[in-house]
Amino acid sequence: MEKGYIALVLHAHLPFVRHPEHEDFLEEDWLYEAITETYIPLIEVFEGLVRDKVPFRITMSLTPTLLSMLLDPLLQNRYLRHLEKLIELAGKEIERTRWHPEFNSLALMYYHRFNRARQVFCDEYKMNLTSAFKKFYDLGVLEIITCGATHGFLPLMEVERRISVRAQVKVGVDMHRKIFGKTPVGIWLPECGYNPGDDEILKEFGIKYFLTDTHGILFGSPRPKYGVFAPCYCKSGVAAFSRDVESSKSVWSTQEGYPGDYSYREFYRDVGYDLEFDYIKPYILPDGTRINTGIKYYKITGETDHKEPYVVKHALDKAADHAGNFMFNREKQAEHLLGLMGDRRPIIVSPYDAELFGHWWFEGPDWINFLIRKIHYDQKVIKLITPSDYLHIYPRNQVITPSYSSWGWKGYNEVWLEGANDWIYRHLHKTVERMIELAGIHASLEPSGLVRRALNQAARELLLAQSSDWAFIMKTQTHSSYAYRRTKDHIYRFTRLYDEIKSGKIDENFLLDIEGKDNLFPDIDYKMYCR
Amino acid sequence: MDKNKLKKAKKDKLMLLARRSNIRGTNLMSKERLIDALTRVSAKKAKKKPKAQRVIKQIKKLPQYQFQGRRPIARPPLMAGRSHSLLEKNGQQKVEEAKYYLGPTSQYQSLEEFQFPAGYGDNRIVAMVRDPWWIYSYWEITPEKENEVRNRIAQKGLNPVKSILRVYDVTGVEFDGNNAHTFFDIELKGLAINWYINVKNPNRAWIIDIGILASNDELFVLARSNCVRTPRFGMSDVVDEEWMCQEDDYWKMFGLSGGFGIGKGSLALKEMFKKRLVEQISSAGWSGAVSSLSSPSKKALKKKGFWLVVDCELIVYGQTEHDAKVTVQNKPIRLRKDGTFTLRFALPDGKQDIPVVATSFDGDDTRTITPIVTRRTI
Repeated sequence: MEKGYIALVLHAHLPFVRHPEHEDFLEEDWLYEAITETYIPLIEVFEGLVRDKVPFRITMSLTPTLLSMLLDPLLQNRYLRHLEKLIELAGKEIERTRWHPEFNSLALMYYHRFNRARQVFCDEYKMNLTSAFKKFYDLGVLEIITCGATHGFLPLMEVERRISVRAQVKVGVDMHRKIFGKTPVGIWLPECGYNPGDDEILKEFGIKYFLTDTHGILFGSPRPKYGVFAPCYCKSGVAAFSRDVESSKSVWSTQEGYPGDYSYREFYRDVGYDLEFDYIKPYILPDGTRINTGIKYYKITGETDHKEPYVVKHALDKAADHAGNFMFNREKQAEHLLGLMGDRRPIIVSPYDAELFGHWWFEGPDWINFLIRKIHYDQKVIKLITPSDYLHIYPRNQVITPSYSSWGWKGYNEVWLEGANDWIYRHLHKTVERMIELAGIHASLEPSGLVRRALNQAARELLLAQSSDWAFIMKTQTHSSYAYRRTKDHIYRFTRLYDEIKSGKIDENFLLDIEGKDNLFPDIDYKMYCR
Repeated sequence: MDKNKLKKAKKDKLMLLARRSNIRGTNLMSKERLIDALTRVSAKKAKKKPKAQRVIKQIKKLPQYQFQGRRPIARPPLMAGRSHSLLEKNGQQKVEEAKYYLGPTSQYQSLEEFQFPAGYGDNRIVAMVRDPWWIYSYWEITPEKENEVRNRIAQKGLNPVKSILRVYDVTGVEFDGNNAHTFFDIELKGLAINWYINVKNPNRAWIIDIGILASNDELFVLARSNCVRTPRFGMSDVVDEEWMCQEDDYWKMFGLSGGFGIGKGSLALKEMFKKRLVEQISSAGWSGAVSSLSSPSKKALKKKGFWLVVDCELIVYGQTEHDAKVTVQNKPIRLRKDGTFTLRFALPDGKQDIPVVATSFDGDDTRTITPIVTRRTI
């Protein structure tokens, strides 16, 4: 009999970025890179485990914006175009590196990886990767949970909180039901942002649990008897699971974490920057600005600018070592905890950004693969489960009020509320109030087709403006102008619709234009903003 | 403005200056860009008008009622605020940033002419939680409202003294304006429209009034905020009888949950908890403690100091009959339709013999040409 449980939770999210008005659009690459480097490799890992009949349970949140993009034909076709260019470049690289065996073998690896990605994307899943995740969900190896509609950071929805939060949750739950055919059992609160009382809204939608950072439970009241090693129920009856610090650190930490190992691939050395201009020009931006291509030849090497060529075998050996180390530490942890807890087995919750695996930590999907196999074959102390599995084993848990918290730096709201982004909230809050005003006016009467479309589009624009990603990116250097523009675009589009709906003069061409651009959530109903 | 002086100033200060100079988009500017913009503006201004006139013009532009253009003063020093996560969040944030990293560039231009409105014609103040010790507030007051209140003050034969924020501790009370446990005031000296307020106490409820303090010390309220509660920081004192255990056991689980290691008693853990906090607060530089993973911003700024990278590639090209078969170093290559070919190789140090062999379609004729290339790097 096992002595404890481990719940790996992978949070897959990207903001909605789709620009049909441009032939090429740089920020769409966020999606393309994540598909090639994270989503497809993870699908391959799950596929292999199922094929080899290795039992496992993993929890994954797929956000509504990410699902919307994965389902979108324009982005699907653009991804394929992107991938085919990568295959072409990798092919040229095989020839170019002929006299450099260490690079040549890597060029071959990329060539095969990209071709394999093409096969998975086109042939196996017919361009729709949500069907891959659904497959593993239905097989019972993945527990897919939902998230806020656009990853809006809930704790800062201070004005009209209940309606704002409810709309984010409702759209997430509806989308999950539509794509996966069942009600999500859990939710990933965007950025793990928890505000006491928001759980009441989760309960309304049949959600059984959410995840918080460590101090969500640890600083909760009354004192949690088992710390973060057992869930707690909120008064609403919804369970909170909190992140384990030790296991988190071993992956997340730039100091002690596995991904910093010198044998692993260096993220910041890319042929897009390294190679001769005329040669690489077709694969960077049309204006000649260099960008990442995804072909990277070097390992981290050390704290130096001089990087050595990457060696696949060494990196894979390290990933296997690290998986073994992770498992061993969790075994020790579980044994010790069981001794202390006595009457129940502990759950160790390890949540990560899914994009960490593959995109940031190139070997991450291999690490997960090794870890799952080792857990199954090499020991009997710990077992992989999902939060809902734990609630089945231990339906009785302590009732507390978890603490207000997020998993952002410093643990609260500062990442999304500081000098670079605090100015957005007066506009976001006003926009919510206006949306509620519009919904109120059209609450009882059935508006005409055009008015209803305008109201629904206004709701989409509001939700898009609320994405936590914009506030987050505003404080980083490189894409802050994009984040600023997106906030501005959605507030502008909303405000114009608001004025037009109120004056009764809806410009259908404008509406058509933005319906075509911000085309997610086809089934949205503005009435969720009625009081 | 003196460029060197600007360089020494903090970014916040520069943003404040830039906003006063009506420079747009300061939120998005790097420090270097701010300095650039400021020096350009001041050069322009110096040319244009004598100083006195400029001041008059600025006063005209900013109506009395608008608290505009000032950055919050009561904000914490950058990292020396309280840093209390139990985890190394900063590492996580680096990783999360990488998700959006495509290289140091972004080219989005909007076509739509739209400026965020300076106000919505509301009289309101909103409070938001930043962390257990700080709350943030923004507000908007219309000139009509301010005039109305000023008239009320005048009608009572009083004088307005200053604009203030009054921050009430309303924990556990239904606030009626007079029943707060305590309150404190913040004088709004500039033309602020928002403020970071250090309330110092976790796990308390707060309401903020914005108003004008009159000469008799009476506060004339312009607007009252929503109520917010700062989060608890630390283990709760409330114990649940049903889930009770020894004090020491609570601390053991607390310590393990917080990643403080195993086998420590409650006293040691309490100490560690404190110490860990102090460490995090004092090591404001830990964000700079970059590991082997370089950070996105580091790359964006490029390497410091002078540097040079050189590499060589070799282009081998030629032409034959379009239907001939050609090998280069014994590997077949593909010809273009007109029989031309181009090959490009990364050229390492050393000698390369590159036999190019063309064979006619019927196999009757063969030509071989062998360029020999030596690269030596010193």
